[in-house]
Amino acid sequence: MLLIEVDGKALFTEYGIQIPAGVVVTDAVPPLPGDGPWMVKAQVPAGGRGNAGGILRCDTRPEVEGAVAGMLGRRLKGHSIDACLVETAATGHERYLAIMVDPGSYGLRVIYSAQGGVEVEQSGSAQGRLCAPHPGAVTEALADLIAGEPAEWREQVAAIGKAMAKMLLDRELALAEINPLFVSRSGCVAGDAKVVIDLNAIDRQPRIASLIAARPAIYVDACRKIAEGFDYVELDPNGEIGLITTGAGLSMMLIDEMTARGARPLNFCDIRTGQMRGSPARLIRVLEWITSSGSLKAVLVNIFAGITDLAEFAGLLAAAIQASPALNVPVVARLVGRNAAEAQRILSETQPNMLVTQDLEEALARIDAIVRTAS
Amino acid sequence: MIGSLSRTTPVIVQGITGRMGRTHAALMRAYGTNIVGGTSARTDLKEAAGVPVFPSCAEAVLETGAVASVAMAPPGETRAAVMEALTAGIKLIVTVAEGIPLHDAIKIGRAVRRAGATWVGGSTPGLAIPGECKLGFLPDVCLKPGPIGIMSKSGTLSYEVGYRLAREGLGQSIWVGVGGDPVKGVRFADMLPVFFNDPRTKGIVLVGEVGGAEEEECAEAYARMGTRKPLYALIAGREAKEGVSMGHAGALVHGEFGTLESKTRQLTQAGAKVFGSIESLIERCARHYRFDKR
Repeated sequence: MLLIEVDGKALFTEYGIQIPAGVVVTDAVPPLPGDGPWMVKAQVPAGGRGNAGGILRCDTRPEVEGAVAGMLGRRLKGHSIDACLVETAATGHERYLAIMVDPGSYGLRVIYSAQGGVEVEQSGSAQGRLCAPHPGAVTEALADLIAGEPAEWREQVAAIGKAMAKMLLDRELALAEINPLFVSRSGCVAGDAKVVIDLNAIDRQPRIASLIAARPAIYVDACRKIAEGFDYVELDPNGEIGLITTGAGLSMMLIDEMTARGARPLNFCDIRTGQMRGSPARLIRVLEWITSSGSLKAVLVNIFAGITDLAEFAGLLAAAIQASPALNVPVVARLVGRNAAEAQRILSETQPNMLVTQDLEEALARIDAIVRTAS
Repeated sequence: MIGSLSRTTPVIVQGITGRMGRTHAALMRAYGTNIVGGTSARTDLKEAAGVPVFPSCAEAVLETGAVASVAMAPPGETRAAVMEALTAGIKLIVTVAEGIPLHDAIKIGRAVRRAGATWVGGSTPGLAIPGECKLGFLPDVCLKPGPIGIMSKSGTLSYEVGYRLAREGLGQSIWVGVGGDPVKGVRFADMLPVFFNDPRTKGIVLVGEVGGAEEEECAEAYARMGTRKPLYALIAGREAKEGVSMGHAGALVHGEFGTLESKTRQLTQAGAKVFGSIESLIERCARHYRFDKR
């Protein structure tokens, strides 16, 4: 999961990597560091902010105020902008430096480019080296990559690389990237920070856990996953179809197919029926989130039960629906797998109006019809 | 190793006295897998799911001659389980845990490679040779012997595909859940030679997801190896939200990297056929292989 820039930079400073002086702005612009120029940067967990208008250079305070006012509250790359970072514009030659986990080699990939800037990842000018996941190996790989750089700052870049490697391994990161890295004789400064963390290591990474817990409004999905133990991602705040589904891949495919036929799914969900242990609590939570959307028109339940007893699940679903008075749209359930016929019988007794089917295409057609009628 | 698995391959279950271990050991046995024992830290239990329980992999292997293991360990304990299995001489290990820490997976991968073993997982329901054996918990309702080799990042989406193919009368030769983690054991490209060399396999279904570069790697390998059998692909996540893991840690899109467009383009260029919906994939397979039969 991608951290927002200020959190990535917080980690950087803990490992001795220099960053420009800056302030986080969520409302009125406070006194600014230095005399300008400044960079105003939208703090959303997404790449490509520069090209999307989320990074602006400003020469005066009124320009900064205008840029901040123009960004806050807007949506950028699917995320709402709740905070901006305003920092002094760094100077020097722009470089690109990244260290990332390389899945194919069970090692790390170190990338360095003598050109920084927004296009470097696409341009192919970046050179990469694979190495073992050890700080010494990263140092060696990077020494190779920067061999052509002027001697006066080569050592400083090497030191940054060493710090990044230590950070990546200590904090169990997937990626640490600086683009641009400003290099000059007086020192190296990280102009940006792209840090991808591993949510699966959060239990043993208290520092990362604290960064996420401190910003529940920005890391909504991660906070929810940590608190609830399953995945729920809001996709479209004006979505019409709430999804209670299991399995990451099938849930994603369902969303793709529904979107392709013009439907508007509200959320992604991998509810993990195997972890419910006889309690409808998880289903009630999801119904609570789904029904809080004013645009909801239908709920689709899709469970392919390899192991889960669908008869038990049907009982839990019926209980959850009864415990959710806010649910006032039709529910369609597609249940296939172990004990599907018994599940169908249970739901037909308690929820006579619910379509319960084993056929996904039939369920999707019914959802289409419900949405059409409601519109 | 995967291609030669059969009902006689001796398999142990690590963590066999736990809730998951006990249940799935029994289900695997019922399917026909030659489960010869299990391991557990509990010394009071001598038997679980009808097979002997050993205190360590080393003893289990010594007593039973097991060559494969299914590790039913929580994500944080999977690395230790794999190390124990490798030390005991296990040659194929399936890790079903969802949520293995990334840097643990790197260490597992390096150890498996050093040992010359095969690793399937994590975040996988496992693998099966339908009609012979299954290692993990692929649902029986989807399994049917037949000509299609399935490899999948996603459990549930592959269940859906396998189930609907089976309903059309098309079963599977080898089914491997490579799993939804970015750092994993067997990858899509590794499976191509297995399918190419397996006489039962007539066509290959790849069930992919956005994120990572496995589909692209597979496309490159497929073209390089000479597209010896048809490759049909279904890739989930067109609508995935950027920067957020969609359930699977590996299903993470950053910018242009790992997108559906990139995967579709490269697979198509390599000679594979990429489908936009489950139904269209099923239809195409059904048409092709029914025609084959005549």
